Amino acid sequence: MKIIIIGASAAGISAARTIKEVEPNTQVTVISRDDCVHSRCMLHHFLGHERDEAGISFVDGHFFADNHITWLKNTAVVGLNTAAKAVTTDDGQELFFDKLLIATGASYFVPPIPGLREATNVYGFRDLKDARLLDAECETAKNAVVIGAGLVGMDAASALLKRGLKVTVIEMMDHTLGLQLDEKSARPYQQHFAAHGADFLLSEKVVAVDLDETGRGVTIQLASGKSIPADVIVIAAGVRPSFDFLDKTGIATEKAILVGDDLQTNVADIYAAGDVTGLSGIWPNAMKQGRIAAINMLGERLLYNDRFAIKNTVNFYGLTTLSLGNINPQPEENFDVIVREDHSSYRKIIMKDGHISGVIIQGDIGGTGFLQHLIKQQIDLSGLDKDVCDLEYSDFYAVDPENGEYHYAV
Amino acid sequence: MKRIIIDREQCDGCLNCNVACISAHQEGSNFYTVNLGSADSQSRNFIKFDPKTGYTPIFCRHCDEPECVLSCMSGAMQKDPVSGHVSYDEAKCAACYMCVMNCPFGVLTPDRQTRTKVIRCDFCEDQPDGPSCVRACPKQAIEVKEVSR
Ligand SMILES: Cc1cc2nc3c(=O)[nH]c(=O)nc-3n(C[C@H](O)[C@H](O)[C@H](O)COP(=O)(O)OP(=O)(O)OC[C@H]3O[C@@H](n4cnc5c(N)ncnc54)[C@H](O)[C@@H]3O)c2cc1C
Repeated sequence: MKIIIIGASAAGISAARTIKEVEPNTQVTVISRDDCVHSRCMLHHFLGHERDEAGISFVDGHFFADNHITWLKNTAVVGLNTAAKAVTTDDGQELFFDKLLIATGASYFVPPIPGLREATNVYGFRDLKDARLLDAECETAKNAVVIGAGLVGMDAASALLKRGLKVTVIEMMDHTLGLQLDEKSARPYQQHFAAHGADFLLSEKVVAVDLDETGRGVTIQLASGKSIPADVIVIAAGVRPSFDFLDKTGIATEKAILVGDDLQTNVADIYAAGDVTGLSGIWPNAMKQGRIAAINMLGERLLYNDRFAIKNTVNFYGLTTLSLGNINPQPEENFDVIVREDHSSYRKIIMKDGHISGVIIQGDIGGTGFLQHLIKQQIDLSGLDKDVCDLEYSDFYAVDPENGEYHYAV
Repeated sequence: MKRIIIDREQCDGCLNCNVACISAHQEGSNFYTVNLGSADSQSRNFIKFDPKTGYTPIFCRHCDEPECVLSCMSGAMQKDPVSGHVSYDEAKCAACYMCVMNCPFGVLTPDRQTRTKVIRCDFCEDQPDGPSCVRACPKQAIEVKEVSR
């Protein structure tokens, strides 16, 4: 059997690895625009000059050779013929498959703000290519402006600070990392970044970017009337699933490629996994989807059930935070909010009727992985006569007598 | 694969397994010289106590489908196809701690001192006699067993 995988990131590589583990004789070709396998979650370590290109790879240098996988790097898929079961590439090749996995991830989005799309010194922070361009700008730039203080924006800001630039972060919300943190847990990060030279303009909106005669954006205009000088601009205002080569192929898409529980699209033998499915926007889920799609492509049946995808960890300047689920509940949702603080951590647990729906733990996050399970499985905690902040996995301890694996006694 | 199996009924909470684990990962120390007060003394196994249920041993399972490996974005954690154990390359690790978040059994933990690595069971791979916790248990409640995958 011949399988083509488009994309050489979390979902694509995890699928390729799984296929070779399960059916080593399968012919696998991976096609990627990327010319170098890299973890997007480590782009800031590359831009900050803490790691080189090899240092941000998540596979070893011989991965493709060792596993007998053909890798067409620096190659974009530009067309798909579902009837002929072939993809076409930007260098004019037509490649046939028995099964296809689309793992093309997402691309950054540039909001339609006057000047922003036209400016030639505006960069996203998604691919190594973006980081390389920013790296070159850092040689001469003094003032960097980062638009958006989500994880991607903060990653970029941390790297630019490492490179000695003056960094201004502009954010519409009233605090940074708004999807992961509440105002209180965001504050210490803002203090750390500020101590390293960052300025935050919160509850602010970019309304225009003024260009100089060469087309570079030099001044950022804000709704409040403020203006900020910029030599280089990073846009971190969100991403969109990336599948423009699917036009008129009959593959069902909305904002993302639509897939069933087996991760197959509406067209038989064509699967999708990772950010491109819109099922998640995080690494662990992309890896798991790649693995499940691979197993299904090989003819087994495994469903994607582990859909919980609002989760993240944050680690800047050695301050660690775990964030799960709905962490900023609206008052009308009538949640109980339990807060505990001590010298080593801030814990906030959001509950209703004995079920946890959101968690923030900042500081000591050791051993907290079980909390995700409590949310995912909606485990009822109302019968336990223990403070929810004191719960541990041991309160749910159960062992498989055959193989010694743990599970949950509930 | 080989897995560390603990007989919970036998455990009397003496924590010798903790001390042995810390010592095995503290360069040049032994049971008598191990410095339990130093910031880098973190055990990779845990005994939890609850007045109602008694002692509960929480040791890394090196799971058949390890969530830590699936969440590792640096490639530092890998499931070894031969031994079945999860290996961890500290130099590759970028300390994002998604593995801590994803371990359903709360076994993984950041290093307390620097927050640059993960504290996890390595099956005492560099020790000729196998896992130190096994040897340290006075009740012989801990053993290495061959289990099917
Ligand atoms: C800066 C940054 C920090 C992040 N931090 C975290 C974090 O801390 N935790 C977390 O869980 N997640 C994080 N993420 C998100 C995580 O990186 C993504 O969820 C993950 O990379 C998704 O993997 P994927 O395989 O679906 O797609 P992507 O990683 O987007 O990869 C897509 C692949 O497809 C290729 N491709 C795309 N189009 C084509 C085409 N037409 N032809 C050929 N090849 C194509 C690309 O070259 C690439 O190889 C971060 C992302 C960024 C950008």
